[in-house]
Amino acid sequence: MTKHTQSLADNERWLGRVMIAPAIVYIVALVGFPFFLALFYSVSNITVGSTETSFIGLENFRHLLHNRTFLRALRNTFVFAFVSQALVLVLAKTLALSLLKDFRGKWVVRLLILLPWVAPISLGSIGWLWILDSVYSVINWTGRALGIFGPATWPIWLGQPTLAMASIITVHVWRLLPLATVILLGGLTSIPQDIHDAAAVDGAGFWRHNFQITIPLVLPIMLVAMLFGVVFAFTDMIVIYVLTRGGPYDTTQVLASLAFFTGIDGGDLAAGAAIALFLFPVLAVSAILMLRLARRTEVT
Amino acid sequence: MGNTKRRTISRRDFIKAAGIGAVAAGAGPTIIIPRRSYGAGKTLKILQWNHFVPGYDKWFNNTYTKEWGAKNGMEVIVDNIGLAGINARAAAEVSAQKGHDLFMFLWPPPDFEDQVIDHKEIYQECEKKYGKPIDLAVKSTYNPKTKKYYGFSDSYVPDPINYRKDLWGDVGMVKGPDTWDDMRVGGAKIKKKHGIPVGVGLSAEIDTGMAMRAIMYSHGASVQDEEGNLVLNSKQTLESIKFVKALFEEAMTPEVLAWDASSNNRAMLAGKVSTVLNAISVTRTAENEKMPIGDNILVTKAAKGPVRRIGLEHVMDVYVIWKFAENIEGAKKFLVDYIGNFQKGFLASEFYNFPCFPKTVPDINKLIAHDPKSNPPDKYAVLSDVLDWATNVGYPGYANAAIAEVFSTWVLNTMFAKAAVGAETPEAALAQAEAACKRIWAKWQERKMI
Repeated sequence: MTKHTQSLADNERWLGRVMIAPAIVYIVALVGFPFFLALFYSVSNITVGSTETSFIGLENFRHLLHNRTFLRALRNTFVFAFVSQALVLVLAKTLALSLLKDFRGKWVVRLLILLPWVAPISLGSIGWLWILDSVYSVINWTGRALGIFGPATWPIWLGQPTLAMASIITVHVWRLLPLATVILLGGLTSIPQDIHDAAAVDGAGFWRHNFQITIPLVLPIMLVAMLFGVVFAFTDMIVIYVLTRGGPYDTTQVLASLAFFTGIDGGDLAAGAAIALFLFPVLAVSAILMLRLARRTEVT
Repeated sequence: MGNTKRRTISRRDFIKAAGIGAVAAGAGPTIIIPRRSYGAGKTLKILQWNHFVPGYDKWFNNTYTKEWGAKNGMEVIVDNIGLAGINARAAAEVSAQKGHDLFMFLWPPPDFEDQVIDHKEIYQECEKKYGKPIDLAVKSTYNPKTKKYYGFSDSYVPDPINYRKDLWGDVGMVKGPDTWDDMRVGGAKIKKKHGIPVGVGLSAEIDTGMAMRAIMYSHGASVQDEEGNLVLNSKQTLESIKFVKALFEEAMTPEVLAWDASSNNRAMLAGKVSTVLNAISVTRTAENEKMPIGDNILVTKAAKGPVRRIGLEHVMDVYVIWKFAENIEGAKKFLVDYIGNFQKGFLASEFYNFPCFPKTVPDINKLIAHDPKSNPPDKYAVLSDVLDWATNVGYPGYANAAIAEVFSTWVLNTMFAKAAVGAETPEAALAQAEAACKRIWAKWQERKMI
């Protein structure tokens, strides 16, 4: 070993810097650089095929505020994010509480719950595409076979705006539920048993136990799960890309999908970047607030 | 056990091991995986779609390109991707300034003009050897403003009407719908009698884009005029929107709002719709899979509207050679030679791809009139005069950058769908589409591309 390596290995200050450097390089290269590039694109007139570009200020953002498709996508983004998160939180809490109990075959149930998370999302979404297909929908065929759907009833899950929105929210919830459940389960198992025992001795019922003991104690971890979920819902587009491509007639468009279709498929990189970055300030502030709140409510 | 000395890893050991590991990980592949030998010749990398006819890819990837490569001292690598990924892949290659030597779009890509070579020389060479290209090819690859050929088209795919002969025969139209009004009236009768609707797409996908343009053009409407001026807002466009609304309300169901590019194939083959606008992929699938419904599906030429009989190409093969391609000369030679061998391509595609240089398949009418697979054997003979009724995206002008952006952002698809379902009035839907088009036009005019 050289003298130089020896001194590096013994130098706490430099060793720390060297060891954290790969992570910093990774973040700068794969997150920082694209982010600043997107910032630049959003104030330019760049297209996918252009070799020249010029600065046009906030023109792309100004135009967006008068674009009905964008405004619809903005509204959809909030609906999509908050409805799916509300459902995820309630369902994940219920599942996590159920999985805390001991019962036969618990590991199989845990495995099944985790499957949507470990399977590639594109594959899962394609499965849903077939489940919701206008001709071959297994839901419709089963409904008809069981007599739930009459001869004139044939829901077009992805072709009617309300059903399409409900479909993409359902698939998104199906996808995020395992992660949220595992996070909450981790939080629940970390609560010392003697707190539960003390509450039981004091005669706390299920709801009081739940709202005054369990939820306050897992709140920090719930907020982290919610933060992940909200950021995911605001920035992800795979479910929409595979299932509806923003249709019917742009009614399920969210900011992430609209940014892709405008910037990449449509070739207007500048407008695509402006759409993608539109909510960045809101998201950044929300993330900071939620992390602060999580830290404040942390039980030590 | 008591003698076992447990060895702890010191920080120094860890750093040493990690350093060796990092070096090995970095250098390993170059030692273990031998580099490709370039000594034998150059490489030609081609990217194109997964063809609707699997046999075509088999022939192109494994036979034609291999033989051509051996003859020309090049290794030809063909990559295939799905239709929906083409634009994203092109954007990635341009952004990286690296990729394939030949990149095939399924529609005109004039928005990439700055990134590609002028393909004029290839057209000239082909014209010298194989005669004139069809007007459809030129209109889909040439920018009259910059006088540049931004692509090269080897072939196009006709877009006839596919109809169920039993259903249409039952409402007194044995030869299928001849006009758009036949489609509405006959389609409504079939829907009422058999519960089977017409299947013309109304969603954000390529087949809808073509069908809506066919309706517009046949009603005398268009997005631009011959000189490339925006003329979308017209009485004729409004009429075509009102027609689509009537067609949807009387003869269709909302399922067309959820379709992707292959949904109409599936719906037709499942017996769920009476009519679709599509390439011969529907009937070919039925023939290849030996589906009984295949004999019941016939094809007919594009429907006539109040002004003219006109349809679109279903897809337009357009190859581009990037300026940053590593083997530009090889790519040019490949295209010229491929046109010379197009008869084989036409047969391998099972009549799906029609030639842009008609002299390369001189017996095309005879071939399509005696197809050994179809029943009746002259099922596809109706395509013999396809060039009389098929036109390009951007008609009556050229497929320019503004037209391409309107197409790829589905402005017209959305306009028609919104009006059809009553989400907007026809006038409001048209006004919104025009506003989107005006912005697109202004952008490309500023760039002096149109």
